[in-house]
Amino acid sequence: MTRSISVSGVALEIEERGTGRPLLFLHAGEGLQPRRPWLDALAARFHVIAPHHPGFGQSTLPDWFGTVDDIAYLYLDLARDLGLRDAVLLGAGFGGWIAAEMAVRDTRCFAHLVLAAPLGIKLGGVTDRDIVDMHAIPRAEFMRLAWADPHRGEIDWTALPETELAAIVRGREALALFGWKPYMHNPRLKRWLHRIDLPTLLLWGEHDRIVTPAYGEGWRAAIPGARMDLIRDAGHFPHWEQPEAFAECAAGFVGRH
Amino acid sequence: MRSWYFSEMAYHPAWQVGLKRGSLRVVLPNENLDPAEAHRLLHRYLDEFALCDEVGLDIMVNEHHSTATCMTVSAPMALAVIARETKRARLLTLGNPIANRPDPVRVAEEMAWLDVLSGGRLEMGLVKGAPYETAPANANPARLMRRYWEAHDLILKALSTTDGPFNWEGEYFHYRNVNIWPRPIQQPAPPVWMTGMSVDSGRLAAERGHVIGTLLSGGTAKPMYDMYRRTARERGWEAGPDRMAYAAVVGVGQTRDEGLRRADQIADYVRTAPVVAEQFTNPPGYNSVAANVAILKAGPRAHRIVKDRQGNLIDHRTASVQQFMDTDTVFAGTPDDVFGQIRDFNARMGGVGHLLFFGQGGYLNHQDAMANITLFGREVAPRLREMN
Repeated sequence: MTRSISVSGVALEIEERGTGRPLLFLHAGEGLQPRRPWLDALAARFHVIAPHHPGFGQSTLPDWFGTVDDIAYLYLDLARDLGLRDAVLLGAGFGGWIAAEMAVRDTRCFAHLVLAAPLGIKLGGVTDRDIVDMHAIPRAEFMRLAWADPHRGEIDWTALPETELAAIVRGREALALFGWKPYMHNPRLKRWLHRIDLPTLLLWGEHDRIVTPAYGEGWRAAIPGARMDLIRDAGHFPHWEQPEAFAECAAGFVGRH
Repeated sequence: MRSWYFSEMAYHPAWQVGLKRGSLRVVLPNENLDPAEAHRLLHRYLDEFALCDEVGLDIMVNEHHSTATCMTVSAPMALAVIARETKRARLLTLGNPIANRPDPVRVAEEMAWLDVLSGGRLEMGLVKGAPYETAPANANPARLMRRYWEAHDLILKALSTTDGPFNWEGEYFHYRNVNIWPRPIQQPAPPVWMTGMSVDSGRLAAERGHVIGTLLSGGTAKPMYDMYRRTARERGWEAGPDRMAYAAVVGVGQTRDEGLRRADQIADYVRTAPVVAEQFTNPPGYNSVAANVAILKAGPRAHRIVKDRQGNLIDHRTASVQQFMDTDTVFAGTPDDVFGQIRDFNARMGGVGHLLFFGQGGYLNHQDAMANITLFGREVAPRLREMN
């Protein structure tokens, strides 16, 4: 089911499917792409609630809205408005960054946190690139670094309808707005990760070279009690490349903790 | 029509390696620049600018960053030198890429200082900047024009306020005591120019009465100029040719062949300028949603093509000088030829008051550049001045 819901002055387009424990899914910078299989794989195990971030899909992006902080507060308001209890908070890539920003602020609505290859923190020195500059490499190079098998992620843009292309273009602009500088991270976030008081799973594609499993280790070390699982034959988008294994890992973790 | 000589002060010795590597900008390492050669070239180019004053031309400079196509990294710095070496020429920065500049008050200070130094000869371009400029500046391409307009408003307020200090607490810029010294000779501020390629740009410039200029794209210029004139009329004033500017490569010679040869050499600038690593050509948010949808639908690289007057598609990277002439990118030949071409262009556009004369583009040597400037200044510019 797709519906529009107004939260704190932002009209959010939300995908909702499945039954059981609520799971708030925060999509990666590439967009939600609700017709792809990972939402169904998660919906077989959870009641999935997946908003399109402001500026993505049909969600609005008001002029006053412009930072990852804004998104974090917006989704905390959304969770409160929806009355979520003991929910799973799951964010992938850019969505993982948002989920972490939420979790350092307020975890009242949630019982578990799953971060899949999150962006958002800085570990190395000033000339180290923890996060590949995805906007400074050719598309083919990005695909090579982001996928275990780049063919799985190829999209023929020329075959998509204009409304979908317009949503993709808006999403790209929104991602730049939120993540251009500092590039895809908040220099202060790492210092506050100790505040996360939820059982936390870090999920990483073993072939991810956008943010490597070593970067994931940095996250794991900074979040009290966090564990990390690798997903085989997957890159930076494990939910996209291995949707069943991804959903199974998340469900297994939630079931055990 | 006024004529403004313009050169990007190219570092052409690195062009071949840049072409081979597929980018003259951003990712071409500066080990490909010999500083001693750059020293020689900068002095040569500044001599060419100085000649303009003697032959009655006005002067324009711009700036680009991290590129072999343009060594001018700071328009005000270049104009500071030129202002001391010239007496009559009006001096145009086209311009200050203000959405990429972290400190608009500094821009206002530099502009005021230049206006004072030059005795009120400054014309002040405030530009969006090319898409690949966001990378060296690390400027966010999203909401770039919102940042542009805030910087624009702040710069004009800083230049025109005489009873400061004032404070500015905006979306992007924050100051508590703005009170620039010196203040400009031209009050309330030096004339403002913008650049653009769309009807939207025409409308936005007309709403403020700024000069609108466009570069090397005759086909797209006309609807923009028309929108400017229409918007002005709707707001109760008539926009004359002095509000419209156009930049083109010009090659003048004693013979047609000599003029074409010079234009062909200068046009190598136009052929190399678009050679940029693809990932820097269209940062997200720089172009409109509609333009980006069209780019995605068309497939990669299709957006670098322009149309000539007959509607044929021309690729700037490989175009011949004749093809460039068919797209109004180049005017070339004898002084009579060039005057005739510009006169016809001016008529087609409905009156353009400023020609930005691209007279040096890299491989054109110093003797030819000086001859081109001199012939244009003595034989073409005076006839253009009588036009409109």
